Amino acid sequence: MSLSSFIADTLAIAANEFRQFRRNRSAILISLVILPLFFTASLGAGRGGAGTSFSATTDIPMAFVDNDLSVASNRLWQTLASSPDFHSLSQSYDEQQSIGLLGSKKIYAVIVVPKGFQNDLDNGFQARIILYTDDSEPGVSDQIQSTLTNYVQNFNPNLEVQPILTQAEKQSIAGVEIIQKGASFAGFNVGLTIVLAVVQIFAGFYEIAGGMSREREEGTYARLLSTPVPIEAIVLGKTLFDLLLSTARTFIVLGLAIYGYGARPNTDLLTLLTLSLLVALVTMGLGFVASALKLGQRAVVIVEFFLILFLFAFSGLIIDKELLVGVSQTIATLLPFTYAFDALRRTVLLGRPLLSLTWDLEYLIMSGIIFYTISLVLLRESRERLIR
Amino acid sequence: MKDDFVRHTYAITIKELKQLRRDPVSLVLTIMFPILLIGIFIVIVAAFSATSHNIPVVVADLDGSPASKLLIDKLTTSPFIHVTQFVQTEEQALGAVNNAQAVGAVVIPQGFGRDLASGHAFIVIETDNSKITSSSFVVGAVNSGAQSLLLEVTRGEAGATFSAKVASVEVITRPISGRPPTGDTILPGFLGMIAILGAFDDIVNAISRERERGTFPRLALSPVSLFSVYSGKMFATVVLTALRTALMLVIFSLDGVEVRGNLLLIFLTTTLIAIFTLSLGLAISARIRGSSTLTVLEIAMTFPLFSLAGTTDSPLLLAPGGRAIANSLPWTYGNDALRRIMYLGLGLNSITGDLLILFISSLVLLPIALILSKRTM
Repeated sequence: MSLSSFIADTLAIAANEFRQFRRNRSAILISLVILPLFFTASLGAGRGGAGTSFSATTDIPMAFVDNDLSVASNRLWQTLASSPDFHSLSQSYDEQQSIGLLGSKKIYAVIVVPKGFQNDLDNGFQARIILYTDDSEPGVSDQIQSTLTNYVQNFNPNLEVQPILTQAEKQSIAGVEIIQKGASFAGFNVGLTIVLAVVQIFAGFYEIAGGMSREREEGTYARLLSTPVPIEAIVLGKTLFDLLLSTARTFIVLGLAIYGYGARPNTDLLTLLTLSLLVALVTMGLGFVASALKLGQRAVVIVEFFLILFLFAFSGLIIDKELLVGVSQTIATLLPFTYAFDALRRTVLLGRPLLSLTWDLEYLIMSGIIFYTISLVLLRESRERLIR
Repeated sequence: MKDDFVRHTYAITIKELKQLRRDPVSLVLTIMFPILLIGIFIVIVAAFSATSHNIPVVVADLDGSPASKLLIDKLTTSPFIHVTQFVQTEEQALGAVNNAQAVGAVVIPQGFGRDLASGHAFIVIETDNSKITSSSFVVGAVNSGAQSLLLEVTRGEAGATFSAKVASVEVITRPISGRPPTGDTILPGFLGMIAILGAFDDIVNAISRERERGTFPRLALSPVSLFSVYSGKMFATVVLTALRTALMLVIFSLDGVEVRGNLLLIFLTTTLIAIFTLSLGLAISARIRGSSTLTVLEIAMTFPLFSLAGTTDSPLLLAPGGRAIANSLPWTYGNDALRRIMYLGLGLNSITGDLLILFISSLVLLPIALILSKRTM
């Protein structure tokens, strides 16, 4: 078979895929609107834009109970009440009543300054304040405690206005200052690395495995395999089609992230596109393997769901690979998507050049080759069975 | 007439449950989904609550004093970090982090021992903050090492003394649930998510299955009223939601999670969540016909809902825009009610507002969904 006819077959398959895609409004909606736009917009809504900053505790209603009624406790109240992190702090005079309000959604924390607060400070002892929290709100207790600790750990009762501490001073413990270097990133930028990969994995798998199973259910799969078009051209044609869609999705996610939410990826567009398409290619390879296993459409969707949940647990999406224990870490080490997320974080956040991520790239490319090889072998067997 | 309606609704409910039993893929999704979600939760909690980790860290001791050696001892015996390499210069230490050989680099500067004796020393940590969770573990481990060193120094055990300045005010946190700080607080939200996804999946499949098999017209021509058909399908969803809720509660109990509050209230809340969700499912399935497309849509909405409906984090911690979205989603109130019942053991009077929002939202959406769905039958 000549190269030109192989290319012609490949392009014919890709064109056929486009025609089918154009006729399917639901597919267009899911592939180019819901997945890229919905995911990115949800991230922006939840985390705020990359250029914006907000204090998570500002609007959380809290009560301040001063049982010491001293100059020091009054200064502590003034420090907190005038801070940007405790805008919804109100003074209360009844400790039990305030604690009783926790769980009612009227207040979420009660800061109690016990009797003897000033006395302890004056005598050089460590003073204490008690923080009662509504811990039925996930994450709220930790957030309030952490913010409050920042304000009080270097509290000086002799100063009417507390100095604004640097991050290093806030972290200073008992005479040893810990200077923390290393860039810190906006939550949106961190989320962008996840969204970019998840959108490609989600859509790529559905388009390839779902598309093939749809053809099988509609009866056109057998016809396609029994045509003289080589299996390689079929796979390549479908891959080409999906690569173009993946490119469009990458631009949609990045466009909304950059122009809508002010994201500033620390790398160039080409690197981002290359990585995004590499993730898409590996996923497509996996999709071809799934489709060669003759899964029905609904089974494909369910496998996809489990795949995404699996990624959330094991690919460093929520928990870094280093923190996983036992067999979880082994799974994370074997999963190609772990390396995809790692590569995206290192480029988008740290600005590492693409070619410096040798191991991540090698692992991703090797995984893609393995998936495509397995699927080609399985699809060839499938065709031979059909012909027989 | 009333008897007929109940009988027909019951018949349709039984038909739906029988069809589910014959569809192994849907059955697997119904049963496996809660188990898989809990499995993920266990992986996450196991990672965060593990007593030891091996996070790679490099150390540059530019001081070489007894104090710096003592600090290195503390770091090397830390259960969370693993000192993989000792380097000679700050640049080498930072280079190791930049080249991804380590998550953190600790640099003990020259004069550390002398400064410590005078009461004010410093340490430099460089962390790879693209690894958000492990970098915070590194900072925590170094903090803990420095604190431990100071304790020994102030006691004179390290051969030097100085008047250490302790943190002036300590914050003692007392959660009102009285529970130890664990990740269990997100479990009620997981139950809410399972009620949402399960109900959505059940109803859209019940509708799209009839459409794809062409059995809807046959149902419409039978003496069963359309109202009974929809009621039966919805009742089957409610029964399945109750089964999933029971399964989750069993898993929670096996996992050692103490569920406070009235179990009936938990079932009532998940039922209301399911009714609102199935109303939405009915409305969407009137526009989008394919069952697999609907399932993809369901999966697509799952992940944003994790953060926007208060499943894993409280909506109070979201950015203002996210908080506004969370407050407009009835599911947020369902998850909130579940947390208050299960975690705090509160009664009906504390969650009436949440349940009313769910009920009224369903009351508004359900008739619209029924009209839309009937039109496209």
